[in-house]
Amino acid sequence: MKKLPLLPHAFQKLGFILLVPFLALGIASIGWDYEVPWLSYRTHAIINQHIIDFSTQNLTDEIAAVGNIITLMLIAFSKEKTEDEAIQFFRLASLQWAVIVSYLVLIVCIFSIYGTGFLTVMMYNMFTILIIFNIRFRFILFMHNKASV
Amino acid sequence: MKNKIKVQRAIHNLTQDDLAKKISVSRQTINTMESGKYIPSTALALKMASVFGVSVEELFQLEEGD
Repeated sequence: MKKLPLLPHAFQKLGFILLVPFLALGIASIGWDYEVPWLSYRTHAIINQHIIDFSTQNLTDEIAAVGNIITLMLIAFSKEKTEDEAIQFFRLASLQWAVIVSYLVLIVCIFSIYGTGFLTVMMYNMFTILIIFNIRFRFILFMHNKASV
Repeated sequence: MKNKIKVQRAIHNLTQDDLAKKISVSRQTINTMESGKYIPSTALALKMASVFGVSVEELFQLEEGD
């Protein structure tokens, strides 16, 4: 059977290690508007061929978002210690489960949250599939290991 | 789907771990297959059958509702 491409097992550990600082950075950035000083740069916007604004941009939130996506992907798509077809099946089943749950949550949010609040929902929605997938997959693996002790 | 993996394992005096190593899967996977929670792919079923020297039909049987 053709195997799905996955990263080596070591990347999973790397993902778990990197998740801590990136998660902390993300929470600090969203919760307290924290900005890493040396990540600021001067920028300008060009609208209708006129430079209209010189302002200072900060890359903290961008780096936190990309960092969290990458670490969650590393955890999700690295091989397990003994990767076999049952684990591949669990991985795909968890992915399907995560997509369904994530969109059900989004549907509820569409009908219950309006205005700028919805933008916040969409921001968190960038991560929900990966987060729900990781939790579900880890839970299934935990039960899989526990059942055979 | 019913299976006789456990019976065949006993006949050949293999532990779950032994069989797992022979067909390169984890011991947990052998366990979930024996309990019928996971149905293996054709390739894995053939590998197991060849370890036991039986046909796949002897190892796995369809049940009503399959």
